[in-house]
Amino acid sequence: MGLDRRAFVQLAVGGVVGTLFTPIPWKLADDAAIWSQNWPWIAKVTKGEIAFKNAISKFCPSGCAVSVRTVEGAPTLVQGSKDNPLSQGGVCPACAAGAQLLYSPARVKGPMKKTQAGFEPITWDEALTTLSAKLSAVKGKDGKVAMVSGDQTGTTSEVFSAFVAALGSQDFYLMPSEGQVAGKAWSIMGGTGKVGFDLKNADFVLLVGADAFESWGPMVRNKKTFGSKRPVGQPNQATYVYAGPVRNRTAAVCDQYVPVPADSLTAFALGLAAQLVQAGKSIDTADFADFKAMLGNFSADKVEKLSGVKAAVLADLAKKLASAKAPLVIAGSPFGQGEGAATFIAGAAVNLLLGQVNKPGGMKVFADFAPVVKGAATAKKLTEASFADYLSKVEKGKASPEVLLVYEANPAYGLPQAEAMSKVMEKIPFVVSFSTFLDETAQKAQLILPNPHPLERLDDLATPYGYSRAAYLVSLPVIKPVADAKPTPDLILGLAAKLGLDLGFSTYQDVLKAKTEAVGASWGDVSKGKLFASDVTKDVSGLNLATAVLAKAAIPNRDPAYPLALAPLAQLNVGTSALATAPQALVTIRDTELLGNDMFVQVCAETAKANGLSQGAKVKLTSSQGECVARVNVSETVMPGTVAAPLGFGRTAWDKFTRGKGDNLSKVLALSPEPGTNVSVWSDTRVKIAKI
Amino acid sequence: MEKQEFKIKWGMVIDLDKCTGCGACMVSCQVENNIAPQQDASNKLRTLTWMNVFEMNNGQAFPDHEIAYLPRPCMQCGSPACVPVCPVVATDKNEEGGIVSQIYPRCIGCRYCMGACPYHARYFNWDDPVFPAGMEKTLSPNTSARPRGVVEKCSFCHTRWGRAKERARKEGVDTMDMPQEWYQTACTTACPGGVIQFGDVNNPKHSVYELVRSKYAFRLLERLGLDPQVWYVSKREWVRMLGDNYLESEKAKKHA
Repeated sequence: MGLDRRAFVQLAVGGVVGTLFTPIPWKLADDAAIWSQNWPWIAKVTKGEIAFKNAISKFCPSGCAVSVRTVEGAPTLVQGSKDNPLSQGGVCPACAAGAQLLYSPARVKGPMKKTQAGFEPITWDEALTTLSAKLSAVKGKDGKVAMVSGDQTGTTSEVFSAFVAALGSQDFYLMPSEGQVAGKAWSIMGGTGKVGFDLKNADFVLLVGADAFESWGPMVRNKKTFGSKRPVGQPNQATYVYAGPVRNRTAAVCDQYVPVPADSLTAFALGLAAQLVQAGKSIDTADFADFKAMLGNFSADKVEKLSGVKAAVLADLAKKLASAKAPLVIAGSPFGQGEGAATFIAGAAVNLLLGQVNKPGGMKVFADFAPVVKGAATAKKLTEASFADYLSKVEKGKASPEVLLVYEANPAYGLPQAEAMSKVMEKIPFVVSFSTFLDETAQKAQLILPNPHPLERLDDLATPYGYSRAAYLVSLPVIKPVADAKPTPDLILGLAAKLGLDLGFSTYQDVLKAKTEAVGASWGDVSKGKLFASDVTKDVSGLNLATAVLAKAAIPNRDPAYPLALAPLAQLNVGTSALATAPQALVTIRDTELLGNDMFVQVCAETAKANGLSQGAKVKLTSSQGECVARVNVSETVMPGTVAAPLGFGRTAWDKFTRGKGDNLSKVLALSPEPGTNVSVWSDTRVKIAKI
Repeated sequence: MEKQEFKIKWGMVIDLDKCTGCGACMVSCQVENNIAPQQDASNKLRTLTWMNVFEMNNGQAFPDHEIAYLPRPCMQCGSPACVPVCPVVATDKNEEGGIVSQIYPRCIGCRYCMGACPYHARYFNWDDPVFPAGMEKTLSPNTSARPRGVVEKCSFCHTRWGRAKERARKEGVDTMDMPQEWYQTACTTACPGGVIQFGDVNNPKHSVYELVRSKYAFRLLERLGLDPQVWYVSKREWVRMLGDNYLESEKAKKHA
């Protein structure tokens, strides 16, 4: 039997039709679709056991209490710790990207020394021998070694300050912060202990400058509290008012926004105090009569002249404060740094007039935890030592350190007058950076000894500034270091032993165990993420109102050569001085804040018109100390006569995600001594703006 | 497309009077959904932001200029515009809970769905995902990384629902009536302001049940009739008015 043409065609067509009734072609098409996307260079996700571990993440200045999701032991997600009152499950945008920052391209992979050809990897032995020799040469010589730390909440400060003191120097500093100025101001008022603010029980909150939902205090706790006081669709349980130069993120959700120039915040608060005194309120302090007399200069009309706040608005606010059941005033910097002591004092005076100190919903005062490391600086001393002032002394030749140790801080980028400060640091012969990332300061250092990432290290957190209770928490490492990093406090304790200095401890774990005991907490609890918190308050009798300081510091000093006030914006998604924008956070920056490599400054239409500026115009901001370039975004959130500009751009180190984007606003921030206190202030920086 | 109803209706309620636009939800979304970082994230035509926070204002000059922030995930519409236009059924609304699926291996990258979605909630992968060296070790186990050439979007962290159902089966709990906190999206848990609430809007035991019935609740572009499963809440009338487009000649005084 032959196969004729007709039979062949029938067979072929029958075969094709037949296969269509089987799943084969459909399965093949489906497989082809899957395999066409299944390329080896597309990253595969890890499968395996999922676990959650509590930890502390210190990418934001206050620190977040976090719960880290791990897969087969590797961190994959940082969330807020639900049971921790500091986070209540929420997390800040900086810490949210924490797991991925373990593998940031900017991570320092291991110890390095600077050579003619750049940085060269070295062994830990060589690194420690070099450092030990340098420190040994300056041991016992007054003022030859200095250290600065960016850890505002950790017991590392005790280890480092004790170490520096044992070497014969008193030059241990913290990077500038809101808490530092508040501590200093509280000391000026004759107060002892630490100040916090009971947002949870307050029913009327006036934020004078303090950007509480972004850069002031523990922002996650602040926002969680705000959210809980405003149940969806129901009447608000608390009223929030923001007073400051920009309708910023905090002001956006407040019930009322009162435009107040940054240099008039103290006058504004004193205006409120004057209204309250007029209404019969008083404070039981020896200098109240002087204070009352001084308030004569801050009547509603006079405050209107100084700050532009209408007399009727001031009077209305004072009435609302007086009639609230639990009013609270929080005064601070609109960008988390650089405010003078007077603003805090004026805010505290209003709380005192309202009788809201150590009362529910008021300002709380509690004892500092006692230091446990022998020779450590007290909290009071730490608030008084300013690193910016110290570098000014170095510049003038009044201090001549030979070694500067830098822990988790980036002064070459983040101090006011950054360019000048960075140059001063070049005068110091040997700078050692204990940084997790290759930041601008590490790049200037002679030696880099990488510190582990927050999820890789033993750490603790004691009462972030602004929290209403004395609180303590410990964090155990979630993962072993993925880079060749060693914990700095342990290194320092080891160096101390090698140099024959007795700090009383040989490991940082022993220090933290002792601290836990001194605090009165249980190691088993705090190291598992359970916050220890004490509601015990401290007596506040014997205060003074620093009348002389207020009288001098409250009057703005405006140099006509610089017609615009500068309002820096500190936003955690952009980063902090010690953390350039995390790769995963870049998308959160709007194209009206950063476009390509150009950052934007914000002015309102009135200011734009007065200065001949239009949307997108390229401009230069110039202060008495420095300049930076940007483009203009016309935004009606900024008060006339003010230019708002972002901090956190203009990186010269880090990685391809951040380097070269925008300009560093810290170069423009100008230091000036606060009249009456001599505290270095830069929140009142003034600038001129010119098209380029 | 005909409206689809299921016994469970996963819904999100976002309180615009609390959102400060901090970006924590966006960062958590990027992390949880394994979106690779881009060097220039300022080119918003190329970024992949399943959750995106927009800034809105009332159009007034200073000092009456008010602002609000609007977090925008996929609306998981009841009558999605994207589903009927997909030529390869790579996106569908056919599962309990009402989450609009996106099946990457089926997607041919034609982007009809992107054109159809009025919320701009869909994104096209112009590039293969490239993570900095080592960062792939931190990838979330809940979402596969997508190659270039496919469209992607928010899935209400769908895998988390799968895990919650596994837990329910293990613990003998009805998968159709689980406690609200067992299944939460990454943006919801991350939010430091408690702005976002997530749950079954058909389940009276879930907080969102009451919230979507609030007189302040509204949905975006409601007049298009897509029946989104994301609700917004604001006591501010101007914010609610921005929830839809009104013609100059319309005398609308209220939204929704």
